[in-house]
Amino acid sequence: MIPAIYMYAIVWASMISILSVGWTMTHLTAKIPNFAHGAYAAIGVYVSFTLCRIHGYSPYLGLPLAALLGGLTGLFLYIVIVNTIVKMGGGAIVLTVATIAIGIFLRAGMNVYATWIRMATGNYAYNFMLKESDFTFLGYNGVFFVSLGACISTAVLLHILLTRTKIGVAMRATAEDPELASVVGINTQRVQQFSWFITGAMAAVAGALMPLWFMSTPAIGLVLLSACMAGSLLGGVESCYGAILGGFVVGFAQIVITRWLMGWFGAGVGEYRPMVPMIILIIVLLVEPRGIVGLIDRLRASPRFKGIISRFER
Amino acid sequence: MIDSVGSRIIIDICMFFGLYVIIAMALNFQYGNAGVPNMGSAISVAFGGFFVTGVVVRICYMLAEEAGFALKPWRDNWGWVYNNYANTVMADTFMVDKPTLCISIFLFSLVFGFLFGWAMGYVISLPAIRLRATYLMITLVTMADAFQLLGRNYVPISGGTLGCWIPEILGFWQGDRSLLLSLVTMAFGLVCYLILRTMLNSPYGRLMRSVRENEITVGSVGKNVIAIRRDVLMFASGMTAVAGVLLAWYFSYGMADTYSRATFTYWPWLMLMLGGPGNNAGTFIGAALVIFMRRLIIVYKWQLDKFIFFPMAFFENILLGTLLLVVMILRPDGLIPEKLLRIPGINYRRLVRETTTVDWKGTLRRAISTKEAS
Repeated sequence: MIPAIYMYAIVWASMISILSVGWTMTHLTAKIPNFAHGAYAAIGVYVSFTLCRIHGYSPYLGLPLAALLGGLTGLFLYIVIVNTIVKMGGGAIVLTVATIAIGIFLRAGMNVYATWIRMATGNYAYNFMLKESDFTFLGYNGVFFVSLGACISTAVLLHILLTRTKIGVAMRATAEDPELASVVGINTQRVQQFSWFITGAMAAVAGALMPLWFMSTPAIGLVLLSACMAGSLLGGVESCYGAILGGFVVGFAQIVITRWLMGWFGAGVGEYRPMVPMIILIIVLLVEPRGIVGLIDRLRASPRFKGIISRFER
Repeated sequence: MIDSVGSRIIIDICMFFGLYVIIAMALNFQYGNAGVPNMGSAISVAFGGFFVTGVVVRICYMLAEEAGFALKPWRDNWGWVYNNYANTVMADTFMVDKPTLCISIFLFSLVFGFLFGWAMGYVISLPAIRLRATYLMITLVTMADAFQLLGRNYVPISGGTLGCWIPEILGFWQGDRSLLLSLVTMAFGLVCYLILRTMLNSPYGRLMRSVRENEITVGSVGKNVIAIRRDVLMFASGMTAVAGVLLAWYFSYGMADTYSRATFTYWPWLMLMLGGPGNNAGTFIGAALVIFMRRLIIVYKWQLDKFIFFPMAFFENILLGTLLLVVMILRPDGLIPEKLLRIPGINYRRLVRETTTVDWKGTLRRAISTKEAS
């Protein structure tokens, strides 16, 4: 029997891990920090809510729909806003401020939708949980298995995508050097569109699982964003595999460390849970700015660990 | 005149114009001129506000107690939160007939607010100022949320979720206090503008712009690029903290939720992007446009509320977000693009107009004479 706090931590960590990978992929292909990434998750949250509370289906049926809707949102934002600004000559900072604007825009849209739900159907759509409509398996809540499975399958599918498929290889090439990639004959536009679709879909799936265990509001993106950026930074910003690990570590630490501190200093510490990603971020930046990737590089260079690392790689 | 709604709106717009011009000019100083993308100006505003609620209010209480006013207990957390309003009223009655004391407390808060913001600028720049711009943006965005969270939960800073009342600093003034404070704020905006203009025209300003254009070249000439960027961030952080102090005095109430990312990071960036980074005139125009629209929407929200079914705050966000995106798509450089800077003391006319006279006739004559000679 796993203690409840570790289950809680694993569910949260899986979601942060999926979000971190998406954030890292946007950062790799579009070269901008996407501050609207948390807001995609809110789309998934409200897909789950609509299906479960209003139409009475199981919230898990919403996962494909959330993925489609989030992906289309990402694609739409890329084509209408990001690509247009790039074409008109806006630099990286203009794009970054535009992502903040998109985030605020999406959050306001979600708030409007929640208000509309309350007026049209009488359901209270702020601060809700869908825990009661979850199934139980072996005495655990179903979301525990589903979220862990989603995290692992994301990692596996991403590995297959990036190494075995043509579009994945094209994505890696575009991330490495867009101009050289287009010289070779890769349609970088198509690659960008694909990556924005994928990241939006992944974030929305993570968001769709959110209300099954956590209190959800239209502003959930604010809390998720700092955690997923910290996870991506811990993973080295420029590595998708690092981001999966980093996101999981940050999410797990956020819950478990706060729980330990609550045991030592009293329940008041629980309020400061969203500060844990910032502390991890600062420690990573001060100790090893390249995160896990930099740590592995450093170990590879040191004579003592050279043999161990190379044995793993073989 | 004072009671009419129109003049109140004008005072309100003037106040917020002064505040946001200070914040947006500080951002322009950092991003437009030195290339430091500070995505956390909300932190510095919050430091200014926290300085007033956490330090200056305590000083006021202490002075009132020294003068013999019987304040309710305020040194413990419980008393600080729940006796705050009664104590503030007490401090108001103590300060109402002492203009010298009030003005000296006001000046103290401005000067030490600046110094506090300046010192905290060093702290917030510590993790990421050496790294790429992305790291700096991520760190500052995360820190802005974290400090807001700290202020909301740690009661002694600004009274937690209940907020903290602040004594009326201009209580001695018989007329309209908000008018006086808005005039003072706009005067501070002007002072900041003059200081920044002087700094940008000085050799240091040219050094800053060279850092923005090419860090590696500046480093190879022997300048410490990281120190320049850190100094710029610290100075701008102090200036933004002054805006936070003025905001706290205007509201007479401080609360951590006021200093949100949307209000104090996103709106100043919107102004900067709308007007065009790199020149102060653009910042002025951007701030004026955004503040005018925003305050009008906020003031007339009761009239507008009849037409839409959802709360007004979201409509405001959607409207101004769309505006920003449209402006960015149509004019990525802003309404006023950056121009060549005029440095006083340099005679541009002499620099530009080169006096080169070609002696065509002489050349021709010489050519003819050489032809004849041959």
